[in-house]
Amino acid sequence: MRAAIEGIGVVGGFGCGVEKLRRALICGKCTPKMIPVTTRNQTAELPVYLCDTSSLESFINKRALRRVDHYSKLAVLGSFLALEDAGVLQDDHLNLAIVVATGYGASLTTFSFLDTAFDDGDACASPTLFSNSVHNAAAAHISILLKARGPNLTVSQFEMSVPSALLAACRLLEDKVVDAVLFGGVDEYCGVLGYCWQRFFGPDSAVSMKPLEWNNQSAIAGEGSAFFFLTRDEGNKPKYGFVTDIQIGHIEKHESQSQLGGFLFLGADGQKSSGIHYARCIQQGTHAAVYTPLYGSFPVGFAIDMAIAAVSVREGTIYATPRHAGKNSGLKIIWNEQHLDSKRIYCLKFSCKGEYGMISITAK
Amino acid sequence: MSPIPPVPVTGIGCLCAAGANLNECMDSLFAGKRKPLPPTRFSSDHQVAYPVFEITRAFPADSSNQRSDILFTAELALVAAKEAIENAGWNREVLKNRQVGVCIGTTVGSAMNNEEFYRSYRSGGNPNMDAITRFLNSNPAQVIAAEFGLTGPCQTVVNACSSGTDAIGLGASWIRSGICDVVLAGGADELCRVTYNGFISLMISDTSPCKPFDANRKGLNLGEGSAVLVLESSDLCRSRKQSARASVLSFGSGCDAYHLTAPAPDGRGLKQAIAAAMTACDKTVEHVAFVNAHGTGTPDNDRVESLVLNELLPQIPYLSTKGYTGHTLGAAGAIEAAFTVACLEAGEIPASAGFETPDPKLLTTPVKHQTAVNGSIAITQSLAFGGNNAVVIFGKGDI
Repeated sequence: MRAAIEGIGVVGGFGCGVEKLRRALICGKCTPKMIPVTTRNQTAELPVYLCDTSSLESFINKRALRRVDHYSKLAVLGSFLALEDAGVLQDDHLNLAIVVATGYGASLTTFSFLDTAFDDGDACASPTLFSNSVHNAAAAHISILLKARGPNLTVSQFEMSVPSALLAACRLLEDKVVDAVLFGGVDEYCGVLGYCWQRFFGPDSAVSMKPLEWNNQSAIAGEGSAFFFLTRDEGNKPKYGFVTDIQIGHIEKHESQSQLGGFLFLGADGQKSSGIHYARCIQQGTHAAVYTPLYGSFPVGFAIDMAIAAVSVREGTIYATPRHAGKNSGLKIIWNEQHLDSKRIYCLKFSCKGEYGMISITAK
Repeated sequence: MSPIPPVPVTGIGCLCAAGANLNECMDSLFAGKRKPLPPTRFSSDHQVAYPVFEITRAFPADSSNQRSDILFTAELALVAAKEAIENAGWNREVLKNRQVGVCIGTTVGSAMNNEEFYRSYRSGGNPNMDAITRFLNSNPAQVIAAEFGLTGPCQTVVNACSSGTDAIGLGASWIRSGICDVVLAGGADELCRVTYNGFISLMISDTSPCKPFDANRKGLNLGEGSAVLVLESSDLCRSRKQSARASVLSFGSGCDAYHLTAPAPDGRGLKQAIAAAMTACDKTVEHVAFVNAHGTGTPDNDRVESLVLNELLPQIPYLSTKGYTGHTLGAAGAIEAAFTVACLEAGEIPASAGFETPDPKLLTTPVKHQTAVNGSIAITQSLAFGGNNAVVIFGKGDI
């Protein structure tokens, strides 16, 4: 299985585009915004990595976006950035396939739809909000704006959404259904999610992510999108290397990653429930990096790791793990930027239920 | 171009308002039974009670299927998976040792929209978090994989109303590529107030039993249910001497790129999906026994489907089974795939329920009576929000 990565579009708390991501990697820091969340009559400030999608207006006029919600804007912006990065934004996209991964879909719009029924009665529920509340609304908006008529697929598998959807994207290329796929992941933050965060993790939830401390609940909520313009391997050298393997499975059948012969990018995001699986499965002494403190914890954050791996391949550099990512004595954490040479990068993510996804990215 | 390898279907499970299993469903369809009624599990303040095709809570006969820790959609998926696995002659313990994938379509089953929770949240209350925990435990593909101890790829497709059809196409691709020995592919969805209000708000729900392709059609009735097909490799099928009920010959997909909820008037995405599927299996119109249309009963959907069928598959008998099941959203494609296989086996299709009066604006009409069909393949198709169109072509029996 091989797919060439020709373009990347990322949107996160660090900003929009590959260059903003690269700058965040170099400085090793991204500061979340503080959002007030009220639970049980007590208001607390919750740190959240939020995104600004206003730069979308440089691609699409405001009028065309008036019924597009934040969830879809995140996806559309990521998509257009990826196409621009690949140098194909102005091309004809008639045969382009679109594959989107999402953990929670258009949460904010779903609750806004409920608001219309609660406030004014069932008969006044908003058809526009209902139409935009379906998980595949983002993929639909992308297809309409790009006039992309290839297969259009949205997958939702919580933390495993990204590897699961990427598998489908690569099959479309392998089966020669299309020549190019716009693949990506998107999830948004909303007030209800912040409320749930506080209820599940308490008012003393983290202000600094320490994902390498497996038993420490230190996750900070985030939102964002990462999109990739993928093509079949036709023998050319792609801008960002290749996706060469996708493994999906369960911890019960997971083999130790000690013999991988490459660098491991850990999707550990400060969630204690999944942290225990990294602790159990990764062999001591493995060379590993973690970047989640730059974008936060959200179901498809794995796509941002995939983007970081692809940028690393392009630059021939493994970026340093942010200094405040916590202490871990068992792994050889990459604390300083280093040369990548020809080694492979493995992005590994565990879900809280013990499922795992591993995506391999390499220059050749 | 040589056809892509067929993928055997060795087992099917299905439940919906028409029946608790596939045999019961087919008996209802061929008996012409249908009974849409106002919803009983929830109420609304609409002036009219829009009819739905509801499964009563006690419908799954085996009480071990009923779990309070997961959403009803996931329960429905489990019931269909269990029937399908038994129908395919698989022992659960043996199946665990195979590379088995799960690919399930849904809409409601993936949406966090618990009204009781949200009402309490927005009024500053202290809602019980069980609603959220239950949602997080209810990803349909994950629930099936966990229940049966399956560790292969696991995917929940959320492509609105084509999800079930897409899931079957994707599952077949996993078999062909060697990623899996066996795939449980299908769809599941439950009725809920959110979709009930949503479709009414779009003014595409009928206040009477739905009438797909009829001149007096006014819209859809919602339904609920699930269906799961066991797909497996031909080699595995042969090695365990298991006969196939049918085979997935091909899958085609196309997007209208036109509108969020309305199909493209020229049916371009559907035409593309049908053409792609026909090309992939290297079959022609002469081979087609019948088409199981999406046939929701909405004016736009039926007009576009009729236009495309007239152009690409003229004179081929077709029907909509939504008059028996309602529109089961993410489950619809899977339930209709199950019916398509059963009809291919039977060599006949039931009457297209609800169709009485031909629409002079449509160039085709569905079958009005139970009809014997000839031909070695059958087509099932789904159209969805977002402009998705998905088509699966099934071939008869063993390959």
